[in-house]
Amino acid sequence: MAKNEKERRGDGATERQGEKASAVVGRREMIKLAAGAVIAPALPQAGPKNGRGPAKAQTSAHRFFTPAEFEMMDELSELIIPTDEHSPGARAAKVAEYIDGRLAESFLDEPKLQWREGLKLVDQISVEINGQPFMQSSPDQRVAVLTRMARNESSPERPEEKFFAELKSGVARAYYTSKIGIHDELEYKGNTYLKEFVGVDVSKG
Amino acid sequence: MQAAAPNIPNDSTVDLKRVYDAIIVGSGAAGGMAAYVLASAGMKTLLLEAGKRINTTEELKSTEWPYDHPRRGEMPPGHHALTFNEYTFRKPPYAQGLKANQVHSYVQSWGGSDYSKNIVVDEKDHPYTGTNYAWVRARCLGGKTNIWGRLALRLSNYDFKAASRDGYGENWPIGYEDIEKYYDKVDLLLGISGVKENLPNLPDSLFQRPIRLNDPEVHLRNTLAKMGRTLTPYRAGVTTDGVKNKYRIRCYGRGACNRRAGGCDIHAAFDSPTGLIFPAFDTGNLTVRTNATVSEILVDTNTGKARGVAFLDTVTGRSYEAKAKVVVLAASTLESARLMLLSKSRLYPNGIANSSGHVGHNFCEHVMGPRVTALVKDKIGAKRTLDDGRPGGFYIPCFRNLSERNPKFIRGYGFEGDSGTPMLPESPFEQPGFGKGYKKAARDYAGATISLGGFGEVLSRYENYVSLDPDVKDRWGIPVLRFHYKFGDNEKKMCEDMADTAQEMVEAAGFTVVNLGRNILTEGWSIHELGTARMGADPKKSVLNQFQQSHDVKNLFVVDGSSHVSASCHNPTWTIMALAWRSCDYLAGELKKGNL
Repeated sequence: MAKNEKERRGDGATERQGEKASAVVGRREMIKLAAGAVIAPALPQAGPKNGRGPAKAQTSAHRFFTPAEFEMMDELSELIIPTDEHSPGARAAKVAEYIDGRLAESFLDEPKLQWREGLKLVDQISVEINGQPFMQSSPDQRVAVLTRMARNESSPERPEEKFFAELKSGVARAYYTSKIGIHDELEYKGNTYLKEFVGVDVSKG
Repeated sequence: MQAAAPNIPNDSTVDLKRVYDAIIVGSGAAGGMAAYVLASAGMKTLLLEAGKRINTTEELKSTEWPYDHPRRGEMPPGHHALTFNEYTFRKPPYAQGLKANQVHSYVQSWGGSDYSKNIVVDEKDHPYTGTNYAWVRARCLGGKTNIWGRLALRLSNYDFKAASRDGYGENWPIGYEDIEKYYDKVDLLLGISGVKENLPNLPDSLFQRPIRLNDPEVHLRNTLAKMGRTLTPYRAGVTTDGVKNKYRIRCYGRGACNRRAGGCDIHAAFDSPTGLIFPAFDTGNLTVRTNATVSEILVDTNTGKARGVAFLDTVTGRSYEAKAKVVVLAASTLESARLMLLSKSRLYPNGIANSSGHVGHNFCEHVMGPRVTALVKDKIGAKRTLDDGRPGGFYIPCFRNLSERNPKFIRGYGFEGDSGTPMLPESPFEQPGFGKGYKKAARDYAGATISLGGFGEVLSRYENYVSLDPDVKDRWGIPVLRFHYKFGDNEKKMCEDMADTAQEMVEAAGFTVVNLGRNILTEGWSIHELGTARMGADPKKSVLNQFQQSHDVKNLFVVDGSSHVSASCHNPTWTIMALAWRSCDYLAGELKKGNL
């Protein structure tokens, strides 16, 4: 949804932005070749301590996430873009639901694996620093998990740091292309009939 | 509302027994203009297009909101758009070995790619080999004009006579005085928006209502004026006051053309079907055959002249011939060269019109990459304004090598840019952190940047060329192009200067640089490929004369960008159309005189 000439000028071509655009909700079902851009590493299967193993066949209304994964995804999205005095947040904008739909239909398996393993990693870090899984942690403890994941945002290296980049970019893309994101949050004024262009007519001196 | 497309008869009804006055191969800017001029001159004309007919009025859905589309405008699963990294670290054919049902060029990684996926080609069907090149192709009626960037600039004698000024390369066989009235005709027929600036190196057009600038853009314009440089509203090949054409209506500023790969479903932006082909069809003199992949120009062995073309039905693969008194190539710079090279015969063993050996050579274009994004402090947290309801932002014309001589490089570059809040800003992807602070920063910085990026002239060099690959063939069994093409030292030095001056200009305006890009994008990125069958007075050093007529084969014309002698740094579409008009006027006259 970005602008064409700007992207053509190369905004989409730097490595940093290449990563940024790698949200699964984008057009990223691709084989990443830049070494730094591989987000899903092989992870140990040490799941949450609640005994639930790797995701199985869907039993929820969601198409990709299990109910527990969806709940976690929904909470993570709201932590990244919360409701504030200005506008509703990611939960109200149904960001998790949109990401769920895109992952469900993903052509390649990599993004599915990336997100599933990434969520496991969130729990793993939560256990590590809070002593319990993410959803069982307190609001402050959840923020602490995300803060840890976000700490090298400009040049992520560790698997959880890379997943944060993917997660945030995916949440942002889903939120800012939603009705709430475009109209309530950003108060976008365009895409409307204009009898005359807006701004200064420099041909009039 | 604009009128619906005329009822062009089905491909299977096209009469291939008759001898047409002219066959035109390709239906983009050049082919559309050739069809318009020749059909208007009363010539019975057959237009062959390799791709299909697309109803872009239905397809583009320019006012659809992202959230009303199941994938927010993105392509369905299984479609893949090539990335900068893939163009950089792999070799063509880029689609080879990729796990995807369909592979597209990088333009399909822009927003709204679902709306343009049927306009661009599937790279799997259309491989090429050799050096890295980001080749963007659209195979459908109208070609790339269905999604073009719309910047419509004239060339000047700084371009046509560049060789006399700096001693490099060849002059064009024409001067500005030869083409000026054709630029005027194109302006009046198709509509162009802009502001007169009286610049010697960027002549003004006959402009309609201009695009307006927002405050940071006006501020940069005023700053540059003090530096002796110009920032002018985007010269858009868009009718803003309307033109006499029932298939088009004037721009009403939805701005979707700027949010996506392009495309205008009200056809205010020029596209070849509504601007040229439909009016040509309405003369009664034009026959259109789509899904016609031309594979060879046929030669009359007695006269040495072209007698028609051989083509394959793109869908069925069945082969056909079409006959004409004149053959006009307008298949694009690279496809026209490919077709000439494919047309080998006893008379023309190196390919038709190629006694000079220059077909495929002198390949040039524009180099891109250096760009700057800067922060406009006054705009942080400012009240939201409507900034993207227009077909473009601004253009900064070339200011290098005009009166002075740069010690490091010859020729020049210009910048395209804009400021303001788009529908999906960069700020959510640029601002760090998460939570309320992040959300507020994304909101506050959404409209607070200005950015610009350069387009520079790539020198025409004999050693930059395309040839036929001896082994690799496309889906239809036709040999593909092999690229032998690299940017040179002049381009690299020019790009260093481009990044320096981009920084210098925004800083002079008091903006703070947040992102300075110095990297050069892959060859081909500008989608402005030119020069592979250049014009010239000397048949030993050029393929075409000043009327885009083959030196060797008098009834063969090549009216697309392949004829350009140098790339200039100005976007080529308007020049392609002005030249095609001039040449087709000449062609029609010569045919009437019996000289072809």
